[in-house]
Amino acid sequence: MADEVGKRTIWFMGRECPHCKQTRPVVERLMAETGVEITELEVWHNEENAHLMRRYGETISRACGGDLGVPAFYNERTGKAICGRTSYDNLKKWALE
Amino acid sequence: MNKRMWRCFVCNDIHFGVKGPAVCPTCGAKNAFVLADNGEALNVIDNYGGTIDTVEGMVRVWEDLIKDKEFKLAEDREMVETLAKGELENMKGKGLKYCPCRITTGDYEKDLSLICPCNFLVQKTWKEYGECWCGLFVKR
Repeated sequence: MADEVGKRTIWFMGRECPHCKQTRPVVERLMAETGVEITELEVWHNEENAHLMRRYGETISRACGGDLGVPAFYNERTGKAICGRTSYDNLKKWALE
Repeated sequence: MNKRMWRCFVCNDIHFGVKGPAVCPTCGAKNAFVLADNGEALNVIDNYGGTIDTVEGMVRVWEDLIKDKEFKLAEDREMVETLAKGELENMKGKGLKYCPCRITTGDYEKDLSLICPCNFLVQKTWKEYGECWCGLFVKR
């Protein structure tokens, strides 16, 4: 069951973003192996999702090195973000924090 | 910066900037750029066509750009075309060819820096990995 709003681990992604495509198997593996629920939100074709990403923009852009980039992960419980290409181990460590 | 439209009164070249070029890059006329009304300048441009609205067209522009540069296009052609499609989608939906790997902030001026190709040479990813944020342009 998906986590409730405010307690989610969100994956902000773009449909035409190649790194997001490459990140998908990493996300799927993480969910399968750890049971962590990750909510996928597409930001270029869904303004509501983009708006939410902007709301968390300060943290995310800091993690991205300045801009609001995708793929980006945001943990609503911890208020922490991770951005750009990332390894499985790195994402796992971040997600289980 | 107060950028405006300038028109060469010899050949109707249009320039957008704080001032017109001293020498017209098209016809070579000197000091021929006159401040133009935006509507007038856009009308001149519109009548020359020049729409780039296909994946092939986008890739051609990028291939021209990389000539004699320190960067080249990514070797994964499928990825390059995916990015071109994304930018065309953004052109359709947002009016500008924004990078599909970042999102607009809603601040128009700030978002102009997201139009592809952007000034990726100052980005962290260029300095660390030798590529732009989305990986379209990579160091040779």
